[in-house]
Amino acid sequence: MLAALGAALIVFVAGLSAWLAVRRVGDVLNRPETTGPQRIPFSGGDPPAVHAWNRFHARYYAMALLFLAFDMEMVFMYPWAVVFVREGMIAFVEMLMFIVILMLGILYAWREGALEWS
Amino acid sequence: MVMRDAVAEGLRRLLIPLACRAPVRVFALAGVNSPTNIDDLRLRDDICLVDSPRSANVLWVAGLLPAPLQDSARRVHAMMSHPRATVWSRPSVMTAEHATLFPHATIVGPSEDLFEALRTVQRALLTKRHASDEALLPDEEPAPWRGVGPYGQGGTGMTGGVPYGRPMAERAPDRDGLELDQLPMRIGPFFPPFPSGLILDVRLQGDVVQEVTIAESLFAQGNVLSSGESQGDLLRDPFRRALTEPVPVGELELARARHHLRWLAHALRVHGLEALGRRVLMFVPALEPGKAGDILALRRLLDRIRTFDWSTAGVGILERQQLSGRGLGPVARAAGLSDDSRLVDPAYDKLGFEPLVHNDGDCRARWRQRLGEVIQSLALARAGAQPAGGAGSVESPRGVLRPETGPTPALLTLLPGLVRGMEWGDAVTTIVSLDLDVREARAASPVETPTSGKPAVERDE
Repeated sequence: MLAALGAALIVFVAGLSAWLAVRRVGDVLNRPETTGPQRIPFSGGDPPAVHAWNRFHARYYAMALLFLAFDMEMVFMYPWAVVFVREGMIAFVEMLMFIVILMLGILYAWREGALEWS
Repeated sequence: MVMRDAVAEGLRRLLIPLACRAPVRVFALAGVNSPTNIDDLRLRDDICLVDSPRSANVLWVAGLLPAPLQDSARRVHAMMSHPRATVWSRPSVMTAEHATLFPHATIVGPSEDLFEALRTVQRALLTKRHASDEALLPDEEPAPWRGVGPYGQGGTGMTGGVPYGRPMAERAPDRDGLELDQLPMRIGPFFPPFPSGLILDVRLQGDVVQEVTIAESLFAQGNVLSSGESQGDLLRDPFRRALTEPVPVGELELARARHHLRWLAHALRVHGLEALGRRVLMFVPALEPGKAGDILALRRLLDRIRTFDWSTAGVGILERQQLSGRGLGPVARAAGLSDDSRLVDPAYDKLGFEPLVHNDGDCRARWRQRLGEVIQSLALARAGAQPAGGAGSVESPRGVLRPETGPTPALLTLLPGLVRGMEWGDAVTTIVSLDLDVREARAASPVETPTSGKPAVERDE
């Protein structure tokens, strides 16, 4: 038990030392100080007139929600696959109903144009 | 502190020989009358042209920069991080204004080896035999913090203040019926995908271009080709010579084929096909009439690259009515017009010349048109040694060229309407496909050259 703890401690200390060493080397090599002109974003040579904070329409939002719905469906299918052999047709019908409900959702989103980018 | 310095010195001694063997990272500022073409650097293994001054060790100034671009050039220099150096290929004759532009620059004359100079400067820079360039601009905060509150929001909501001294974007309706911010941005004059000197004021909503205006400073200098700075450019360009004196068809057509291949290499690079662009550039120095088979193989290869096809098909469509009779060369011919001033040249008439056309008028039709013209030009170059031109106007690779102007001003008038409503990637594809040359741009009326003839149509798929 103590040997295992010691090994874990050694791994932890070695990892921490490596991290600190890499940071130290980075600090030595890197010159973080920059001048004002060096901080101007490059878009061809002229500085921007307006701040870059701006709100735009995240058009992938509806697609991302649809992806999440079907991603979660796959998560539910793992435990279902375990009991499918034991339960047989009942489990199959239950999963079918679940998928049909989700499919109605995607058909609705399709009709509403959520899958069209432009 | 002593320990730290020793470690740093040890690491430097270890790494500097390796860094010296690495390709020289160069950011190029293209001016006029450069003895070396930027594309020549792209063919070198020991030089890496980068797309941002932040990634570069060496700023290469190619030729002379017109006055409206000099402030931007100084800003680009100031954006580079240390260690940095400037190498300037410039002619021996120049104005005092130019002479003081980059006081620390290593000057490379027309007869000197630029590539060796770049390598030498990088080695000297890394081994500290060459001091890093001092700043040309004062170390002033470009936009000092002036906001109120933890996020500089001015205390009146997220968009109420002037964080970092810059106002927030204004709101406007977007294509989805929402009221969202419009971000004004100035692109250029040294934005690598665009021709040097092109300055666009763009209003973006997300990545959708809502409005584009061409900055006035583009026209402020007038036609820089007539300014006397660029006599070398004039003498090297056979199309410029053909304005006043007859030039053999073979020379003109080989120059046209080379121009189109350089353009194609640039377009491929902008589409992320860097290696293929380099392969296309490798055709240029040794291009001769017998190489048409290689270009046909290249066209077959490009037809198989689906990403290039998808990103150009249906993008940036120009209608025939917009282009008719304006001398817009391959751009007009890609839209089905047979506008070509070679039709009225007796030398081309003897060769049975008929202009090649495509019908779609989009970016894909434009690159197919130019590649088709490369093959056609090689065939003409094989057949034609008789002199052409000398009549005051000539069909250059971009369109009808005259002593005072070229096709670029007319293309620039079409540009704002063409890219409005496009996503930014499509807008870049479209602007690149027009093959603009800002040196031709001036506040002149578009060229009017009505020509027509029987077209040899290549079918668009």
